[in-house]
Amino acid sequence: MPEGLLDLLTALQGFLRPGALFNVLWATLLGITVGMLPGLTATLGVALLTTLTFKMAAGDAILILICMYVGAIYGGSRSAILLNIPGTPANAATTLDGFPLARRGEAGRAMGIATSGSVLGTLIGILALATIAPVLAEFALSFGAFEFFWLAVFGIVISGHLTALDDPIKGWIAGFLGLMVAMIGQEGIHAYPRFAFGSTDLAGGIGLLPALVGAFGFSEVLIVMKQPAAEVVRAATDRVIPRLADLVRYWRTIIRSGVIGTTMGIIPGVGEDLGAWASYAAARRASREKDQFGRGSVEGLMAAETGNNAAVPGAIIPVLTLAVPGSAPAAVLLAAMFIHGVRPGPLIMIEFPTFIHDVVAMMLLATLAILLYGLVLTRPLLLVLAVPRERLMPAIFILCTIGSFAIASRLFDIWVMLGFGILGFVLREMRYPMAPLVLGLVLGDILDKSLRRGLVLTDGDLGPFFTRPISAVLWITILITVLLSFGAVRRTVSGLLGRNREGAP
Amino acid sequence: MVRADFITGLILAALGIGALLISLDMPRFEERNINPYTVPGLVPAALAAVIAALGAMLAARAARAGGWRLRGLEVRFLADDAARRVALTLLLTLGYAAGLVGRVPFWLATFVFAAGFVILFEWPKGVAGRLRRIALALLYAALLAAVVTYVFQEIFLVRLP
Repeated sequence: MPEGLLDLLTALQGFLRPGALFNVLWATLLGITVGMLPGLTATLGVALLTTLTFKMAAGDAILILICMYVGAIYGGSRSAILLNIPGTPANAATTLDGFPLARRGEAGRAMGIATSGSVLGTLIGILALATIAPVLAEFALSFGAFEFFWLAVFGIVISGHLTALDDPIKGWIAGFLGLMVAMIGQEGIHAYPRFAFGSTDLAGGIGLLPALVGAFGFSEVLIVMKQPAAEVVRAATDRVIPRLADLVRYWRTIIRSGVIGTTMGIIPGVGEDLGAWASYAAARRASREKDQFGRGSVEGLMAAETGNNAAVPGAIIPVLTLAVPGSAPAAVLLAAMFIHGVRPGPLIMIEFPTFIHDVVAMMLLATLAILLYGLVLTRPLLLVLAVPRERLMPAIFILCTIGSFAIASRLFDIWVMLGFGILGFVLREMRYPMAPLVLGLVLGDILDKSLRRGLVLTDGDLGPFFTRPISAVLWITILITVLLSFGAVRRTVSGLLGRNREGAP
Repeated sequence: MVRADFITGLILAALGIGALLISLDMPRFEERNINPYTVPGLVPAALAAVIAALGAMLAARAARAGGWRLRGLEVRFLADDAARRVALTLLLTLGYAAGLVGRVPFWLATFVFAAGFVILFEWPKGVAGRLRRIALALLYAALLAAVVTYVFQEIFLVRLP
């Protein structure tokens, strides 16, 4: 038996005890509920649960967080199908075909497809996690300060470019604002308190979790309350068990979406939302039933739901191997791992040799749990959608307040939550993406230390930042991304390419 | 949106320049003989410069699209339902988290906030059944305050503010 598989089985065996299985069941169910409720995202769910589980043993706490993450991304498909409102941003592509299917009276079938797509997508992602992560960790051992500096910039630029809603500049602004906020407080080399203005609270820095609870929790409360009241829930009438025929017929779509979703997950700060959109777009291009897309296409729904869930294990790959999050919820997971004494990064296979397989086992259990709930608990779960927002939102806000306070017991963290909530609300109203902001908050420290360490190593010579092979690949990609976002450059390039093609024999 | 982008761009540019000046003013620790490439202000200064540049680009782009025209800009305070709902939400949430929490016992603050939130947002539903709705809201708030306080204090062992 290959060594990796044996490690995985050992890891799985470790979780096959009543306490752990109980945690899997409640955390996944809570995740599905959080995902279903418009206004509660996977990021908020994982952030709030991190604040609540930080006194638990590391293994239990991380298991709970992973179940919450997988459950929330899956659960968001419910409200997308039934209400035409994506439960989490990752399920936006699901509404395109899920809601038309529900309107045709096929809500049950649509939910069945979402269940099977999510399960298979996660499994494809898990396969990638189990095989790629150990290799990538070994490769990352060759990363020095120069590479980590460029990796941080790469993350911000790519994430800002890909997640921007209308203008890449807004994505980059969000990313650099995140980096700037991460500069507040004592820096890691000389312990000088930057931008503290004499305040001891500010000198302690802005906590990632209160900031995220604000940006994803409080701002969401404001956004939900801003909208007019939601519509009535549509009940599922047909069967919710996935049809084998749907799976067999669209196996190519499932595998393609799984691979695309995983890849989108691996790219820093991109994550589930784009995993779904990119899979959906690819499925549409390859489909023989293009005209059905947007009108209740089973293939489109399958692609979206496979893509977003495949991105979950995908986003964890860079978390474990580079300590760079693939998505916003993965950023919280990364922070939680640090809180619990696990230090993800290139040394993970040396310092915590079993941890990658533990995470794979946790993911597998979470996947089994969503399959179970998808098959047996569909109708009772729909009751959750009937809770009026006037009742739900104050409860959410209370949790945001107490969650921000819980970690360090300081009132300043509540202020941070409030500040980031209002900032997040304003930025989102003005169509700035949130993912680069989160990525910036996480990567600020890496960027800061790597640049200064790199300069010390070279005694101020910038050469190695540009000439080392991995650094070169990263900065050239960054440069191309930035240049191509300018309309004039893009037009010139496509003009040149067009001329070449015409000139070719 | 272009007008909002224009103004945000200017604000970001100003913010960037301000942060740049503060960063340049940070100590260089020459007396400690530290390596000059590790001065604390280096990275913040670079980031601040990027933010200022991006803000200026955003403002310039918005200005080209006509965003610099401030004429015709009317401030309509709480003009529509959405704005009124956001204002009320802000008032209640900030009043709770920044006002009550830490000053009065947590369960009391939570009860007052939850009851106030539900009652005020359900007020426009009309006179019919209002008393019943208020009674239900009080019950809900009491239950919520009790459950949250108990769960966090006894199960999650959080020291409540």
